[in-house]
Amino acid sequence: MENKIVSPNPHIHTRTSTASLMLDVIIALAPSMALSVLFYGWSALMLLALGAGFCVLLEWAIAKWMMRKPQLFCPSAAALTGLLLALNMPPSTPWWTVLIGAIVAIGVAKMSFGGMGQNVFNPAITGRVFLLISFPQQLTTWDIPKGFIGGIDAVSGPTVLSQAKLGGAASVADLDLFRTFLLNPGGSLGEISGLALLVGFVYLLCRKVVKPWIPLSIFVTVAVVSSIFHLCNPELYTGPVFNLVAGGLILGACFMATDYVTSPMSDWGGVLFGAGIGLIVMMIRYFGSYPEGVSFAILLMNMTVPLIDRAFHRKKFGYGRA
Amino acid sequence: MSKLTFHIGGVHPDDAKLSHACAIEVLPLPPVVYVSMAQHLGAPATPCVAAGDRVKVGTVIGEPSGFISGYVHSPASGKVKSVGPRKDLAGHNVMHVEIEVDPEGEEWEEDIDRSDTLVTEIPTDHAAVVEKIKQCGVVGLGGATFPTHVKLNPAPGSKADCLLVNGSECEPYLTSDYRIMLERPQEIIVGAAIMQMVLGGCRCVIAIEENKPEAIKTMEAALAQLGYKNMEIAVLKKKYPQGGEKQLIDAVLGRQVKSGALPISVGCVVQNVATSLAVYEAVQKNKPLITNTLTITGDCLPASAQHNYLFRIGMPLSYIAEQAGGVPESAAKIVSGGPMMGKAVANLDATTVKGTASLLFLSKETTKRHPEGYCIRCAHCADSCPMGLEPFLINRLYKAGDLEGMEAASAQDCIECGCCQYSCPASIPLVDNLRMAKGQVMAVIKNRRSNGK
Repeated sequence: MENKIVSPNPHIHTRTSTASLMLDVIIALAPSMALSVLFYGWSALMLLALGAGFCVLLEWAIAKWMMRKPQLFCPSAAALTGLLLALNMPPSTPWWTVLIGAIVAIGVAKMSFGGMGQNVFNPAITGRVFLLISFPQQLTTWDIPKGFIGGIDAVSGPTVLSQAKLGGAASVADLDLFRTFLLNPGGSLGEISGLALLVGFVYLLCRKVVKPWIPLSIFVTVAVVSSIFHLCNPELYTGPVFNLVAGGLILGACFMATDYVTSPMSDWGGVLFGAGIGLIVMMIRYFGSYPEGVSFAILLMNMTVPLIDRAFHRKKFGYGRA
Repeated sequence: MSKLTFHIGGVHPDDAKLSHACAIEVLPLPPVVYVSMAQHLGAPATPCVAAGDRVKVGTVIGEPSGFISGYVHSPASGKVKSVGPRKDLAGHNVMHVEIEVDPEGEEWEEDIDRSDTLVTEIPTDHAAVVEKIKQCGVVGLGGATFPTHVKLNPAPGSKADCLLVNGSECEPYLTSDYRIMLERPQEIIVGAAIMQMVLGGCRCVIAIEENKPEAIKTMEAALAQLGYKNMEIAVLKKKYPQGGEKQLIDAVLGRQVKSGALPISVGCVVQNVATSLAVYEAVQKNKPLITNTLTITGDCLPASAQHNYLFRIGMPLSYIAEQAGGVPESAAKIVSGGPMMGKAVANLDATTVKGTASLLFLSKETTKRHPEGYCIRCAHCADSCPMGLEPFLINRLYKAGDLEGMEAASAQDCIECGCCQYSCPASIPLVDNLRMAKGQVMAVIKNRRSNGK
């Protein structure tokens, strides 16, 4: 009877851990990362590797040397932040911006709030928005570097969202939206293919890592709001399909807004959260000074999460119907 | 027949029914048995024998000492060696009666029918049957060991319209209920029919999970053969904790027992299949509850060392482990009961009680607790909670010492099923803390009640 463990129930545990959940999200991003490396070549590979590398290193160093809590360090979570940061950047971004982005994401947005699970704002988006405001030129230059696969007919230039911002819906009327959804070189790394992102997201759904409510709510809200405006003035306001496939909406909705730490914990809270994001995205796209607003929308709604969590609770057993 | 299940939460651990194919074997008696007086929920029985007394198999050695209490009978014939405190499996001192077992031949109380003949005729005198169940010391064998005669005797004004017989055995590893459903289906069904009669001829549903197709088939055949009216078998989906009283009622009937209320408030009485068998033996055979079936299993036992045993109460667990080939080297934890709700054994010299269901030997890999991490707000705990609670919130309120908050978050409704802690990716000891929170809130509620609000 010596050396036997005695502890209260339960005596077994699921194999899922924080690290394995984060790894699942990284796996889900694999199709998008592979495509971006194929089409943007070494520069994409460098951005992804630097992003992940810087973030892991920073989190380790801060946890160990500054916070003196080495157990706060979770390599797969830090790597995921770095990968998401890189996926939100144009392929031509210089390497040092990634370093600054990583410092803001991990150092400011995550660790200074207390590290894993404590941050209010999504670290990767905080990093990206900081860069976008500080280095607008580097973050909005959409040069397409030489990829491992040749023959892309896309040209460097303003994104479709910038075109729409300047010239209204009419200027992007002849865009092949289905092709944009399948393969769309010219934006951030992660925006290369909406299909690849959705494939990854379906993987997450199947593994029960996330629930579909937040992205669904974002998509529905964007579709509804843009339909109303588009119907009122089709010349000026872009339509629902355009707004669903263009820019970073799919990336943001499926992988950034669903971040556990910075999203509501209840299903209905998630629906409200998603609706807020969808609404803010459309307001920025139509009326804001930036062509794209997914990052801002997610950050703004991140702030409301504590309130949403207070308002929405689960239905307890034995309180409703008899 | 559609597959039913409860509607909130639940988890799907690997069911690991390693010992499902092992037929029930009868364990021989050890030279000495130690019979605990705390065999049931409620007040322990009072010993009514003294050192030197001779007892037969079935002789009453403990009498109930309160309303919620029960009789305890001798599992062996022999001489009472001592009556005194002894440590139970958690290491607490409990009154035990030590009996030196007659080495050759055992002597049973004369009025016990030891034949195998199936008695299918259902008696009709309610009071006599309930009294018989009480006299034979029958308690609920689904885990809580609540005295059965109390449960079958609802408070005046409440009436049962459905008896649920629980054969779901949703805990991983356990196979004792499965084996008795395969090997003694008719007796279980007769037992159910007796309880049905006691409750005034209500509907009776025997609920079995879909991962036991053989048991479903056998029980259906036995029921068809016996032909009792108003009795049916329901197939349930495999989901833990389906066997929880409130979950089972929700699964089969879609009724929710209100917070703090008993199943009878929605017209239900839930009894385990093993209890049903004990009721049969008590009423039809006059045999007190001195035997039950336990599973010896675990992921560090080879297939040859897995067993289902018919044991007598009072056998030391160490003796049973020896009979099965000894405690395996690789066992890191020994659990009595299922891996989700069972109790870790701190003292292998403790003896079997009526409710003993298993002896699990779990390897370090399976059972070790990972270091507590940081909550990542994934809400897996709340998604898995069958009571619809938010364990992450109650955990936080408990740490903050917010009693009012804990009560508002319904910590008192926690059934300690283990789902939240099982599914927490950060390995936070949620159940440990929720159990403490529940205890504190229950104390407050009790105080308020006794102070007349």
